[in-house]
Amino acid sequence: MRSKECVAMILAGGQGSRLGALTKKVAKPAVPFGGKYRIIDFPLSNCTHSGIDTVGVLTQYQPLELNTYIGSGQPWDLDRKNGGVYVLPPYVSAEKGEWYKGTANAIYQNIGFVDQFDPEYVVILSGDHIYKMDYAKMLKAHKKANADATIAVIEVPWDEASRFGIMNTDENLKIVEFEEKPKKPKSNLASMGVYVFTWKVLKKYLIEDEKDVNSDNDFGKNIIPKMLENGKKLMAHRFDGYWKDVGTIQSLWDANMELLDDAPAMNISDKDWRIFSKNPAKPPHYISNTAVVKNCYITEGCEIDGMVEHSILSEGVVVEEGAKIIDSVILPGAHIGRDAVIKKAIVGTGAVIGKNVKIGTEEIGAIEDFVNTKICAADITLVAPEVKIKDDVAIAKNSMVTKSIKA
Amino acid sequence: MHNSTLGLIFSENPEANLGDLTNLRALAAVPVGGRYRIIDFILSNMVNTGIANVGITTTSKMQSLTDHLGTGKDWDLARKQNGLFILPHNEAYDSNKQYGVDYIYNAFSYLRRSRQDYVLVSDCNTICNLTYEDVEKLHMEKDADITMVYTKVGQIEDRRLKRHIFLDVDKDGRVTDMELYPTVQKLNNSYMHMFYIKKSLLLELVGDCIAHGKHKLNADLLMSNIDKLKIYAYEFEGYSKTIDNIKTYFGFNLDLLKKEVRDELFGTKDDDRIYTKVKDMVPTKYGKNSCVTNSIIADGCVIEGQVKNCIIFRGVKIGEGAVVENSIIMQNSQIMENCLVENAIFDKEVILREGKKLVGQETYPVIIGKRVVV
Repeated sequence: MRSKECVAMILAGGQGSRLGALTKKVAKPAVPFGGKYRIIDFPLSNCTHSGIDTVGVLTQYQPLELNTYIGSGQPWDLDRKNGGVYVLPPYVSAEKGEWYKGTANAIYQNIGFVDQFDPEYVVILSGDHIYKMDYAKMLKAHKKANADATIAVIEVPWDEASRFGIMNTDENLKIVEFEEKPKKPKSNLASMGVYVFTWKVLKKYLIEDEKDVNSDNDFGKNIIPKMLENGKKLMAHRFDGYWKDVGTIQSLWDANMELLDDAPAMNISDKDWRIFSKNPAKPPHYISNTAVVKNCYITEGCEIDGMVEHSILSEGVVVEEGAKIIDSVILPGAHIGRDAVIKKAIVGTGAVIGKNVKIGTEEIGAIEDFVNTKICAADITLVAPEVKIKDDVAIAKNSMVTKSIKA
Repeated sequence: MHNSTLGLIFSENPEANLGDLTNLRALAAVPVGGRYRIIDFILSNMVNTGIANVGITTTSKMQSLTDHLGTGKDWDLARKQNGLFILPHNEAYDSNKQYGVDYIYNAFSYLRRSRQDYVLVSDCNTICNLTYEDVEKLHMEKDADITMVYTKVGQIEDRRLKRHIFLDVDKDGRVTDMELYPTVQKLNNSYMHMFYIKKSLLLELVGDCIAHGKHKLNADLLMSNIDKLKIYAYEFEGYSKTIDNIKTYFGFNLDLLKKEVRDELFGTKDDDRIYTKVKDMVPTKYGKNSCVTNSIIADGCVIEGQVKNCIIFRGVKIGEGAVVENSIIMQNSQIMENCLVENAIFDKEVILREGKKLVGQETYPVIIGKRVVV
């Protein structure tokens, strides 16, 4: 195997339980986003644009769809002779076999994979964030500082800082302290879950961490604090672009809607930093004589006869005449029946909404059996993938419809 | 079928004339239907039938076609064995004077080297969604030498007759006569310019034509062998359209505005899709004041104005206050604020500056060439 200066490892094993029904059958990184993408398209495309051509994707929870999606890596230009993308599930060896116990353990179990490429550095990424970032710049800063680890940080509002892992740094951005979700934050620089490590240093820490039976085998909880304790050089790397953790239904909905802003915080149509994705072989979309489309994103294979306003439609969505879709995200292949009204909702892949159905309504008499404010806050309604809802049903807002409502 | 048949597609057709659209590109590479090139349809049909070895004959205008096809990976034809073969033209001939027989003759070494025993020979410009299993089945059942594909047509207007080849077919499905570009219509079986043949026989017939100074595929290779060979005909009953001039080009694009045509042509299942080069464009953005009706719109566009009865290709921008009707706007063209466009075909990367008006006639659309700035 030809050696590589830098190998990327994407942690894509998380369940994303706060996304409720959306991640019942797929891992969070495979959740559709922005009409054409999956969440993992962002870190994968970032790798390609940053010149990293060797990427390990660590999967564990419901990996089938994610594995199928990544395939040979061709959509991201990662089908390479030397390097390319590798899906790395947990495995059984001669001594033992176990699940990935934590983020650090996942990398520990794949030390052999990384070592094949004999890299100087590894980039550790999370598969659940929406952002465009040049890892090459961060790697350059890491080399220049002669650091053992560099952690990407983003300024978050002070009142939200206690929800993040916070880096306290000196004036040169050298990290002096790391606090996971501090009650009284001393800084508002939050870790983005993007790390560059000097591989031989990290490897040593991973091996030590594995021996520690009390460890949670987690980067944030164990590896980073241990390195700080031992006086290793950890640097913060400021990122000032758009970054969003789409871990909840609300943040996923928000991030989709932000694409429709007049001046979106993240430009997905940047030709020099295209977000690559697996394209379905579908014809262009069709907007009929009875359709009204305003302020929305619509993609291939859609057939629109109804009204779509301030919404995002993924490939192959059908909107029948008289239907209204407002402030919503419709995932691939969903079918919206005649005169249905969808308001502030996420409608899952392949869902079928009957005629005159109301989703996310405040009207009296609407079905409230599915109301689930734990998952669906802020009046958002979620319809699970493949759910079928019969004609003339009204579903109250804040619902998570997890099973079909049949005639 | 996939083990035994290879596809041979002609990227040009001397009988087609698309004017400015083919000045710089092969007929096969002319953009259609919002995100496709003409060749995507026939090529996808072959792939969907399981044909894994396809040769495409080219002329000197091959650049745009080879850019589009690349290694063939978007059609799943980037293979170690078989795959996509671009067959270069023979510099010794003037491309304009080459006919079908010459193109096949140029491809002799490719044909001989291929392992398949049968060849599906096809023009590129008949658009349909046809899988060839039934053609092959008929061919084998009848123990035919050649099987030609045709479609039933109604009464053709006199001036369009010169574009048709009619087959006279007996009850058994055998071709008993062929009429090439007649002046009076006696038959209604219009040949779709696709035939199925054993490779060894094709090589023999082409060799024979060349040796006798004959070059025309339809007249010399097919018609003159009607009495000597068992030529059968397969009727295709679905939608098909031959693009051979601006009018049929325009007509085909507008046919796509009909749901039944789209559903048939683009397929509703996963095994009859039409593949094309993937561009990784973002979805299309509609502005707050956009007003779009009865149109096909590809990805990567930004639509702020009014669009009616149009085919809009990838990456087109239509500014606020602009009105675009009955038009075909190709990739990356820009129509700025308050323009008016009617009955027009914009080639790629055309820019129409603020407030300009361009109005063609329904029967005679205006064509704006590639990269023109108005």
